[in-house]
Amino acid sequence: MNGGSMVVWLATLWLYAGGAVAAVFLLFGIDRVDGNARGAYLFRPLLAPGVLLLWPLVLWRWWTLEAVSGTSDDAAYDRGRYQAVRAGHARVWSVLAVLVPAVLIGALLMRQPVPDSKGAAVRLDAPAPKQ
Amino acid sequence: MSVKYSPVQWTQSKLFYDAIALALVVAYVLIYLRVAPTFTGGVPSADGAIVRARAFGTCAFLLLTVILCIGPLARFDRRFLPLLYNRRHLGVITCLVALTHAAYVLNWYFNFSSTPRFEALLTSNTSYGQILGFPFEAFGILALLALLVLAVSSHDFWLSFLTAPVWKLLHYAIYPAYGFLVAHIALGALQSETNATFAVVTGCSVVLVCRLHAAAAIHETRLARTATVSASQEDAWFAVGKLTDFEEGRAQIRLLDTGERVAVFLHEGHLAAIGNACAHQNGPLGEGRILDGCLTCPWHGFQYRLSDGCSPAPFTEKVPTYNLRIDGEVVLVDARMNPLGTKVDPVPLPLVTQGAGA
Repeated sequence: MNGGSMVVWLATLWLYAGGAVAAVFLLFGIDRVDGNARGAYLFRPLLAPGVLLLWPLVLWRWWTLEAVSGTSDDAAYDRGRYQAVRAGHARVWSVLAVLVPAVLIGALLMRQPVPDSKGAAVRLDAPAPKQ
Repeated sequence: MSVKYSPVQWTQSKLFYDAIALALVVAYVLIYLRVAPTFTGGVPSADGAIVRARAFGTCAFLLLTVILCIGPLARFDRRFLPLLYNRRHLGVITCLVALTHAAYVLNWYFNFSSTPRFEALLTSNTSYGQILGFPFEAFGILALLALLVLAVSSHDFWLSFLTAPVWKLLHYAIYPAYGFLVAHIALGALQSETNATFAVVTGCSVVLVCRLHAAAAIHETRLARTATVSASQEDAWFAVGKLTDFEEGRAQIRLLDTGERVAVFLHEGHLAAIGNACAHQNGPLGEGRILDGCLTCPWHGFQYRLSDGCSPAPFTEKVPTYNLRIDGEVVLVDARMNPLGTKVDPVPLPLVTQGAGA
Protein backbone atom coordinates (compact mmCIF):
# COMPACT_ATOMS: atom_id res chain seq x y z
CA MET A 1 0.00 0.00 0.00
CA ASN A 2 1.56 3.34 -1.04
CA GLY A 3 1.26 6.64 0.81
CA GLY A 4 -1.61 7.89 -1.35
CA SER A 5 -3.78 4.82 -0.95
CA MET A 6 -3.00 4.81 2.81
CA VAL A 7 -4.31 8.39 3.10
CA VAL A 8 -7.44 7.51 1.13
CA TRP A 9 -7.98 4.40 3.31
CA LEU A 10 -7.57 6.42 6.52
CA ALA A 11 -9.93 9.13 5.24
CA THR A 12 -12.52 6.47 4.39
CA LEU A 13 -12.15 4.96 7.86
CA TRP A 14 -12.55 8.44 9.41
CA LEU A 15 -15.76 9.03 7.46
CA TYR A 16 -17.20 5.60 8.39
CA ALA A 17 -16.55 6.34 12.07
CA GLY A 18 -18.11 9.78 11.55
CA GLY A 19 -21.16 8.15 9.97
CA ALA A 20 -21.64 5.90 12.98
CA VAL A 21 -21.27 8.83 15.41
CA ALA A 22 -23.62 10.97 13.27
CA ALA A 23 -26.34 8.30 13.31
CA VAL A 24 -26.27 7.92 17.11
CA PHE A 25 -25.76 11.59 17.91
CA LEU A 26 -28.36 13.02 15.54
CA LEU A 27 -30.99 10.44 16.46
CA PHE A 28 -30.49 10.32 20.24
CA GLY A 29 -27.62 12.40 21.64
CA ILE A 30 -28.58 15.80 20.35
CA ASP A 31 -31.85 15.76 22.30
CA ARG A 32 -29.93 15.13 25.52
CA VAL A 33 -27.46 17.99 25.15
CA ASP A 34 -29.47 20.77 23.49
CA GLY A 35 -33.03 21.58 24.49
CA ASN A 36 -33.55 23.68 21.37
CA ALA A 37 -33.06 20.57 19.21
CA ARG A 38 -35.93 18.67 20.85
CA GLY A 39 -38.79 18.36 18.40
CA ALA A 40 -36.72 19.97 15.62
CA TYR A 41 -35.76 17.44 12.94
CA LEU A 42 -35.50 19.27 9.62
CA PHE A 43 -32.16 20.88 10.48
CA ARG A 44 -30.48 17.63 11.55
CA PRO A 45 -29.45 16.41 8.06
CA LEU A 46 -27.54 19.71 7.72
CA LEU A 47 -25.45 18.73 10.74
CA ALA A 48 -24.49 15.31 9.35
CA PRO A 49 -21.52 16.54 7.24
CA GLY A 50 -20.19 18.39 10.29
CA VAL A 51 -20.37 15.29 12.47
CA LEU A 52 -18.70 13.25 9.71
CA LEU A 53 -15.71 15.59 9.69
CA LEU A 54 -15.59 16.65 13.35
CA TRP A 55 -16.74 13.51 15.17
CA PRO A 56 -13.95 13.47 17.80
CA LEU A 57 -14.91 17.04 18.73
CA VAL A 58 -18.57 16.01 18.84
CA LEU A 59 -17.82 13.08 21.14
CA TRP A 60 -15.75 15.31 23.44
CA ARG A 61 -18.47 17.98 23.73
CA TRP A 62 -21.18 15.35 24.13
CA TRP A 63 -19.20 13.78 26.99
CA THR A 64 -18.59 17.19 28.59
CA LEU A 65 -22.23 18.24 28.36
CA GLU A 66 -23.47 14.92 29.75
CA ALA A 67 -21.09 15.40 32.69
CA VAL A 68 -22.53 18.81 33.61
CA SER A 69 -26.19 18.06 32.82
CA GLY A 70 -28.46 18.65 35.79
CA THR A 71 -26.13 21.21 37.32
CA SER A 72 -26.91 24.91 37.45
CA ASP A 73 -26.21 27.41 34.69
CA ASP A 74 -23.24 28.74 36.61
CA ALA A 75 -21.72 25.33 37.25
CA ALA A 76 -21.92 24.51 33.56
CA TYR A 77 -20.74 27.97 32.58
CA ASP A 78 -17.33 28.01 31.02
CA ARG A 79 -15.41 30.83 32.63
CA GLY A 80 -13.23 31.15 29.58
CA ARG A 81 -16.26 31.75 27.38
CA TYR A 82 -15.99 35.50 27.48
CA GLN A 83 -12.26 35.85 27.11
CA ALA A 84 -11.39 37.88 24.08
CA VAL A 85 -10.86 35.39 21.27
CA ARG A 86 -9.67 38.18 19.01
CA ALA A 87 -6.42 38.29 21.01
CA GLY A 88 -5.18 35.45 18.80
CA HIS A 89 -5.91 37.43 15.64
CA ALA A 90 -2.87 39.68 16.07
CA ARG A 91 -0.58 36.70 16.64
CA VAL A 92 -1.90 34.86 13.57
CA TRP A 93 -1.60 37.86 11.27
CA SER A 94 1.83 38.90 12.52
CA VAL A 95 2.95 35.61 10.94
CA LEU A 96 0.63 35.45 7.91
CA ALA A 97 1.19 39.08 6.87
CA VAL A 98 4.85 38.16 6.30
CA LEU A 99 4.54 34.53 5.21
CA VAL A 100 1.79 34.86 2.57
CA PRO A 101 3.43 37.69 0.56
CA ALA A 102 6.79 35.89 0.89
CA VAL A 103 5.33 32.71 -0.62
CA LEU A 104 3.78 34.64 -3.52
CA ILE A 105 6.85 36.75 -4.23
CA GLY A 106 9.21 33.79 -3.81
CA ALA A 107 7.19 31.63 -6.18
CA LEU A 108 7.08 34.39 -8.81
CA LEU A 109 10.83 35.09 -8.50
CA MET A 110 11.75 31.43 -8.90
CA ARG A 111 9.35 30.93 -11.78
CA GLN A 112 10.99 29.40 -14.83
CA PRO A 113 10.37 30.95 -18.28
CA VAL A 114 7.32 29.49 -19.96
CA PRO A 115 7.86 28.55 -23.62
CA ASP A 116 5.85 30.59 -26.11
CA SER A 117 2.78 28.54 -26.98
CA LYS A 118 0.87 30.96 -29.15
CA GLY A 119 1.08 28.74 -32.21
CA ALA A 120 -2.07 27.12 -33.48
CA ALA A 121 -3.02 23.92 -31.71
CA VAL A 122 -2.50 20.76 -33.71
CA ARG A 123 -4.89 17.89 -33.35
CA LEU A 124 -3.05 14.58 -33.32
CA ASP A 125 -4.46 11.57 -35.04
CA ALA A 126 -5.29 8.57 -32.95
CA PRO A 127 -2.77 5.74 -33.34
CA ALA A 128 -3.78 3.15 -35.87
CA PRO A 129 -5.30 0.08 -34.28
CA LYS A 130 -2.99 -2.90 -33.99
CA GLN A 131 -3.60 -5.64 -36.49
CA MET B 1 -30.06 30.15 19.68
CA SER B 2 -32.65 29.81 22.33
CA VAL B 3 -35.50 28.99 19.97
CA LYS B 4 -36.07 25.75 18.06
CA TYR B 5 -33.49 25.21 15.34
CA SER B 6 -34.48 25.47 11.70
CA PRO B 7 -32.41 24.40 8.67
CA VAL B 8 -31.58 27.94 7.56
CA GLN B 9 -32.66 31.10 9.35
CA TRP B 10 -33.48 33.18 6.33
CA THR B 11 -34.89 36.64 6.75
CA GLN B 12 -35.82 38.96 3.92
CA SER B 13 -32.49 40.75 4.13
CA LYS B 14 -30.55 37.49 4.28
CA LEU B 15 -32.41 36.15 1.25
CA PHE B 16 -31.60 39.37 -0.60
CA TYR B 17 -27.94 39.10 0.42
CA ASP B 18 -27.71 35.45 -0.66
CA ALA B 19 -29.47 36.15 -3.95
CA ILE B 20 -27.00 38.95 -4.73
CA ALA B 21 -24.03 36.74 -3.80
CA LEU B 22 -25.27 33.85 -5.97
CA ALA B 23 -26.02 36.21 -8.88
CA LEU B 24 -22.49 37.64 -8.66
CA VAL B 25 -20.97 34.13 -8.63
CA VAL B 26 -22.99 33.07 -11.69
CA ALA B 27 -22.15 36.34 -13.49
CA TYR B 28 -18.43 35.97 -12.68
CA VAL B 29 -18.27 32.39 -13.96
CA LEU B 30 -20.17 33.22 -17.15
CA ILE B 31 -18.01 36.28 -17.84
CA TYR B 32 -14.85 34.29 -17.11
CA LEU B 33 -15.85 31.52 -19.53
CA ARG B 34 -16.57 34.16 -22.17
CA VAL B 35 -13.53 36.39 -21.59
CA ALA B 36 -10.77 33.94 -20.59
CA PRO B 37 -10.18 32.57 -24.11
CA THR B 38 -9.51 36.12 -25.38
CA PHE B 39 -6.55 36.37 -22.98
CA THR B 40 -4.68 34.05 -25.31
CA GLY B 41 -5.56 36.03 -28.44
CA GLY B 42 -8.46 33.78 -29.30
CA VAL B 43 -6.24 30.71 -29.48
CA PRO B 44 -7.79 27.97 -27.35
CA SER B 45 -4.80 27.08 -25.15
CA ALA B 46 -6.83 25.14 -22.63
CA ASP B 47 -9.64 22.65 -22.85
CA GLY B 48 -13.14 23.56 -21.75
CA ALA B 49 -12.92 21.53 -18.55
CA ILE B 50 -9.71 23.35 -17.57
CA VAL B 51 -11.25 26.77 -18.23
CA ARG B 52 -14.29 25.81 -16.14
CA ALA B 53 -12.04 24.57 -13.34
CA ARG B 54 -10.14 27.87 -13.41
CA ALA B 55 -13.37 29.88 -13.50
CA PHE B 56 -14.60 28.26 -10.26
CA GLY B 57 -11.10 28.23 -8.72
CA THR B 58 -10.52 31.95 -9.26
CA CYS B 59 -14.08 32.65 -8.12
CA ALA B 60 -13.48 30.79 -4.83
CA PHE B 61 -10.24 32.74 -4.29
CA LEU B 62 -11.94 36.09 -4.88
CA LEU B 63 -14.84 35.13 -2.60
CA LEU B 64 -12.40 34.19 0.14
CA THR B 65 -10.64 37.51 -0.35
CA VAL B 66 -13.95 39.34 0.10
CA ILE B 67 -14.84 37.30 3.19
CA LEU B 68 -11.48 38.04 4.79
CA CYS B 69 -11.80 41.76 4.08
CA ILE B 70 -15.26 42.06 5.65
CA GLY B 71 -14.08 41.51 9.25
CA PRO B 72 -11.44 44.26 9.46
CA LEU B 73 -13.50 46.64 7.32
CA ALA B 74 -16.44 46.26 9.70
CA ARG B 75 -14.15 47.04 12.62
CA PHE B 76 -13.05 50.31 11.02
CA ASP B 77 -16.33 51.35 9.41
CA ARG B 78 -19.78 50.39 10.72
CA ARG B 79 -21.29 50.62 7.23
CA PHE B 80 -19.74 47.21 6.49
CA LEU B 81 -21.55 45.54 9.40
CA PRO B 82 -24.49 44.27 7.26
CA LEU B 83 -21.96 42.28 5.23
CA LEU B 84 -20.61 40.79 8.45
CA TYR B 85 -24.05 39.58 9.59
CA ASN B 86 -24.37 37.20 6.64
CA ARG B 87 -20.73 36.23 6.24
CA ARG B 88 -21.41 32.58 7.06
CA HIS B 89 -23.71 32.18 4.06
CA LEU B 90 -20.98 33.63 1.87
CA GLY B 91 -18.57 31.09 3.38
CA VAL B 92 -20.86 28.20 2.46
CA ILE B 93 -21.16 29.54 -1.11
CA THR B 94 -17.36 29.80 -1.29
CA CYS B 95 -16.99 26.20 -0.16
CA LEU B 96 -19.47 24.99 -2.81
CA VAL B 97 -17.64 26.95 -5.51
CA ALA B 98 -14.29 25.49 -4.36
CA LEU B 99 -15.79 21.97 -4.39
CA THR B 100 -16.97 22.54 -7.98
CA HIS B 101 -13.40 23.55 -8.89
CA ALA B 102 -12.07 20.38 -7.24
CA ALA B 103 -14.64 18.22 -9.04
CA TYR B 104 -13.62 19.64 -12.42
CA VAL B 105 -9.94 19.05 -11.62
CA LEU B 106 -10.52 15.47 -10.44
CA ASN B 107 -12.74 14.64 -13.40
CA TRP B 108 -10.27 15.98 -15.92
CA TYR B 109 -6.68 15.57 -14.75
CA PHE B 110 -7.12 12.33 -12.78
CA ASN B 111 -9.95 10.61 -14.59
CA PHE B 112 -8.33 8.64 -17.35
CA SER B 113 -6.15 6.06 -15.65
CA SER B 114 -6.58 2.78 -13.86
CA THR B 115 -5.51 4.44 -10.59
CA PRO B 116 -8.49 5.63 -8.52
CA ARG B 117 -8.89 9.41 -8.81
CA PHE B 118 -8.23 10.35 -5.18
CA GLU B 119 -5.20 8.09 -5.06
CA ALA B 120 -3.93 9.50 -8.36
CA LEU B 121 -4.34 13.04 -6.97
CA LEU B 122 -2.11 12.17 -4.02
CA THR B 123 0.50 10.14 -5.89
CA SER B 124 0.89 11.80 -9.29
CA ASN B 125 3.47 14.24 -7.94
CA THR B 126 5.37 13.48 -4.75
CA SER B 127 8.26 15.95 -5.15
CA TYR B 128 7.79 17.42 -1.69
CA GLY B 129 11.54 18.06 -1.36
CA GLN B 130 11.71 20.83 -3.98
CA ILE B 131 10.10 24.24 -4.34
CA LEU B 132 9.71 24.39 -8.10
CA GLY B 133 7.46 21.53 -9.10
CA PHE B 134 6.21 21.18 -5.54
CA PRO B 135 2.90 19.29 -5.49
CA PHE B 136 0.75 22.38 -5.20
CA GLU B 137 -2.34 20.16 -5.14
CA ALA B 138 -1.55 19.44 -1.48
CA PHE B 139 -2.10 23.12 -0.60
CA GLY B 140 -5.37 23.08 -2.50
CA ILE B 141 -6.53 20.00 -0.58
CA LEU B 142 -5.63 21.62 2.75
CA ALA B 143 -7.45 24.84 1.80
CA LEU B 144 -10.50 22.87 0.68
CA LEU B 145 -10.52 20.86 3.92
CA ALA B 146 -10.42 24.07 5.95
CA LEU B 147 -13.26 25.58 3.90
CA LEU B 148 -15.26 22.36 4.37
CA VAL B 149 -14.79 22.45 8.14
CA LEU B 150 -15.96 26.07 8.20
CA ALA B 151 -18.99 25.37 6.00
CA VAL B 152 -20.18 22.22 7.77
CA SER B 153 -19.91 23.88 11.18
CA SER B 154 -21.65 27.10 10.17
CA HIS B 155 -25.09 26.28 11.59
CA ASP B 156 -26.02 28.04 14.83
CA PHE B 157 -26.24 24.65 16.55
CA TRP B 158 -22.44 24.32 16.33
CA LEU B 159 -21.94 27.67 18.02
CA SER B 160 -24.11 26.64 20.92
CA PHE B 161 -22.80 23.06 21.08
CA LEU B 162 -19.09 23.83 20.83
CA THR B 163 -19.31 27.18 22.73
CA ALA B 164 -18.28 30.43 21.10
CA PRO B 165 -14.54 30.27 21.96
CA VAL B 166 -14.09 26.73 20.55
CA TRP B 167 -16.21 27.58 17.50
CA LYS B 168 -14.25 30.77 16.92
CA LEU B 169 -10.97 28.90 17.30
CA LEU B 170 -12.15 26.33 14.76
CA HIS B 171 -13.10 29.12 12.38
CA TYR B 172 -9.62 30.58 12.66
CA ALA B 173 -8.95 27.88 10.03
CA ILE B 174 -10.02 30.46 7.45
CA TYR B 175 -6.67 32.25 7.90
CA PRO B 176 -4.40 29.28 7.10
CA ALA B 177 -6.91 28.36 4.36
CA TYR B 178 -6.11 31.66 2.67
CA GLY B 179 -2.37 31.04 3.03
CA PHE B 180 -2.75 27.54 1.56
CA LEU B 181 -4.80 28.91 -1.31
CA VAL B 182 -2.18 31.55 -2.16
CA ALA B 183 0.53 28.85 -2.08
CA HIS B 184 -1.70 26.61 -4.25
CA ILE B 185 -2.04 29.37 -6.84
CA ALA B 186 1.55 30.66 -6.64
CA LEU B 187 3.14 27.22 -7.04
CA GLY B 188 0.47 25.98 -9.43
CA ALA B 189 -1.37 28.14 -11.93
CA LEU B 190 1.04 31.10 -11.76
CA GLN B 191 4.01 28.91 -12.68
CA SER B 192 2.65 28.21 -16.14
CA GLU B 193 0.39 31.22 -16.75
CA THR B 194 1.64 33.53 -19.50
CA ASN B 195 -0.89 36.29 -18.89
CA ALA B 196 0.04 38.68 -16.06
CA THR B 197 -3.58 39.32 -15.05
CA PHE B 198 -3.74 36.35 -12.68
CA ALA B 199 -0.52 37.32 -10.92
CA VAL B 200 -1.69 40.95 -10.57
CA VAL B 201 -5.11 39.92 -9.17
CA THR B 202 -3.49 37.48 -6.73
CA GLY B 203 -0.97 40.13 -5.66
CA CYS B 204 -3.72 42.72 -5.10
CA SER B 205 -5.67 40.23 -3.01
CA VAL B 206 -2.64 39.41 -0.85
CA VAL B 207 -1.78 43.09 -0.32
CA LEU B 208 -5.38 43.98 0.52
CA VAL B 209 -6.01 41.09 2.92
CA CYS B 210 -2.64 41.32 4.69
CA ARG B 211 -2.79 45.12 4.93
CA LEU B 212 -6.31 45.15 6.37
CA HIS B 213 -5.66 42.37 8.89
CA ALA B 214 -2.32 43.82 9.96
CA ALA B 215 -4.03 47.21 10.49
CA ALA B 216 -6.84 45.56 12.47
CA ALA B 217 -4.32 43.64 14.57
CA ILE B 218 -2.36 46.83 15.35
CA HIS B 219 -5.62 48.64 16.15
CA GLU B 220 -6.72 45.86 18.52
CA THR B 221 -3.33 45.69 20.25
CA ARG B 222 -3.29 49.47 20.82
CA LEU B 223 -6.86 49.36 22.07
CA ALA B 224 -6.02 46.56 24.50
CA ARG B 225 -3.00 48.49 25.81
CA THR B 226 -4.84 51.75 26.32
CA ALA B 227 -8.03 50.14 27.57
CA THR B 228 -6.51 47.99 30.28
CA VAL B 229 -7.73 49.39 33.56
CA SER B 230 -5.39 49.92 36.45
CA ALA B 231 -6.03 48.65 39.93
CA SER B 232 -7.73 50.95 42.36
CA GLN B 233 -7.21 51.17 46.11
CA GLU B 234 -9.15 47.99 46.79
CA ASP B 235 -8.25 44.60 45.35
CA ALA B 236 -11.11 43.82 42.95
CA TRP B 237 -12.21 47.34 42.02
CA PHE B 238 -10.84 48.94 38.90
CA ALA B 239 -11.16 52.47 37.60
CA VAL B 240 -13.14 52.64 34.34
CA GLY B 241 -12.84 56.37 33.81
CA LYS B 242 -14.11 59.75 34.84
CA LEU B 243 -17.80 60.59 34.92
CA THR B 244 -17.29 63.05 32.09
CA ASP B 245 -15.90 60.29 29.83
CA PHE B 246 -19.36 58.78 29.39
CA GLU B 247 -21.79 59.69 26.60
CA GLU B 248 -25.49 58.86 26.69
CA GLY B 249 -26.22 55.54 24.93
CA ARG B 250 -22.54 54.68 24.52
CA ALA B 251 -20.15 52.43 26.43
CA GLN B 252 -16.62 52.62 27.73
CA ILE B 253 -14.96 49.24 27.10
CA ARG B 254 -12.19 48.16 29.43
CA LEU B 255 -9.96 45.09 29.52
CA LEU B 256 -9.78 43.72 33.04
CA ASP B 257 -6.76 42.01 34.52
CA THR B 258 -8.84 38.82 34.51
CA GLY B 259 -8.72 38.82 30.69
CA GLU B 260 -12.41 39.71 30.39
CA ARG B 261 -13.70 42.85 28.75
CA VAL B 262 -16.38 44.87 30.45
CA ALA B 263 -18.67 47.40 28.75
CA VAL B 264 -19.93 50.19 31.01
CA PHE B 265 -22.96 51.90 29.46
CA LEU B 266 -24.56 55.22 30.23
CA HIS B 267 -28.28 54.85 29.54
CA GLU B 268 -30.93 57.37 30.60
CA GLY B 269 -28.61 58.90 33.18
CA HIS B 270 -27.66 55.56 34.77
CA LEU B 271 -24.48 53.48 34.50
CA ALA B 272 -24.58 49.71 34.04
CA ALA B 273 -21.76 47.21 33.43
CA ILE B 274 -22.07 44.07 31.37
CA GLY B 275 -19.68 41.52 29.82
CA ASN B 276 -18.47 42.81 26.46
CA ALA B 277 -18.70 39.46 24.62
CA CYS B 278 -22.04 38.45 23.12
CA ALA B 279 -23.16 34.94 24.10
CA HIS B 280 -23.75 34.20 20.42
CA GLN B 281 -20.40 34.77 18.70
CA ASN B 282 -18.50 36.91 21.19
CA GLY B 283 -19.47 40.03 19.25
CA PRO B 284 -18.39 43.34 20.86
CA LEU B 285 -21.49 44.31 22.85
CA GLY B 286 -19.90 47.56 23.95
CA GLU B 287 -20.01 48.75 20.33
CA GLY B 288 -23.74 48.05 20.15
CA ARG B 289 -26.69 50.40 20.51
CA ILE B 290 -29.55 50.35 22.99
CA LEU B 291 -32.78 49.59 21.16
CA ASP B 292 -36.15 49.18 22.89
CA GLY B 293 -34.37 49.30 26.24
CA CYS B 294 -32.06 46.41 25.38
CA LEU B 295 -28.41 46.43 24.44
CA THR B 296 -28.21 45.11 20.85
CA CYS B 297 -25.12 43.28 19.58
CA PRO B 298 -23.73 45.05 16.49
CA TRP B 299 -22.92 41.73 14.81
CA HIS B 300 -26.15 39.73 14.73
CA GLY B 301 -28.68 41.72 16.74
CA PHE B 302 -28.80 39.56 19.88
CA GLN B 303 -30.31 41.63 22.69
CA TYR B 304 -29.68 41.82 26.45
CA ARG B 305 -31.17 43.78 29.33
CA LEU B 306 -28.53 45.98 30.93
CA SER B 307 -29.89 45.31 34.41
CA ASP B 308 -29.40 41.51 34.49
CA GLY B 309 -27.57 40.59 31.25
CA CYS B 310 -30.46 38.34 30.14
CA SER B 311 -32.06 38.25 26.70
CA PRO B 312 -35.77 39.07 26.72
CA ALA B 313 -38.14 36.07 26.49
CA PRO B 314 -38.38 33.71 24.66
CA PHE B 315 -34.59 33.90 24.29
CA THR B 316 -32.39 32.51 27.06
CA GLU B 317 -28.90 33.90 26.32
CA LYS B 318 -27.09 35.47 29.25
CA VAL B 319 -23.98 37.55 29.71
CA PRO B 320 -22.55 38.46 33.11
CA THR B 321 -23.19 41.72 34.91
CA TYR B 322 -20.69 43.61 37.05
CA ASN B 323 -21.10 45.80 40.10
CA LEU B 324 -20.33 49.50 39.76
CA ARG B 325 -19.82 52.38 42.13
CA ILE B 326 -18.81 56.00 41.86
CA ASP B 327 -15.94 57.34 43.93
CA GLY B 328 -15.84 61.13 43.55
CA GLU B 329 -15.34 61.73 39.84
CA VAL B 330 -14.23 58.17 39.07
CA VAL B 331 -16.37 55.20 38.02
CA LEU B 332 -15.18 51.91 39.51
CA VAL B 333 -16.08 48.40 38.41
CA ASP B 334 -15.80 45.22 40.45
CA ALA B 335 -13.72 42.82 38.31
CA ARG B 336 -15.45 39.81 39.86
CA MET B 337 -18.29 39.02 37.47
CA ASN B 338 -21.66 38.22 38.99
CA PRO B 339 -23.30 34.82 38.53
CA LEU B 340 -25.27 34.75 35.26
CA GLY B 341 -28.67 36.39 35.52
CA THR B 342 -27.78 38.50 38.58
CA LYS B 343 -29.77 41.73 38.61
CA VAL B 344 -27.72 44.83 39.38
CA ASP B 345 -29.44 48.15 39.86
CA PRO B 346 -27.98 50.75 37.47
CA VAL B 347 -26.00 53.46 39.25
CA PRO B 348 -27.44 56.97 38.75
CA LEU B 349 -25.04 59.69 37.66
CA PRO B 350 -24.71 62.57 40.12
CA LEU B 351 -27.06 65.40 39.13
CA VAL B 352 -24.20 67.87 38.67
CA THR B 353 -22.62 65.64 36.01
CA GLN B 354 -25.94 65.12 34.23
CA GLY B 355 -26.45 68.86 34.17
CA ALA B 356 -22.95 69.44 32.81
CA GLY B 357 -23.41 66.82 30.11
CA ALA B 358 -26.77 68.21 28.97
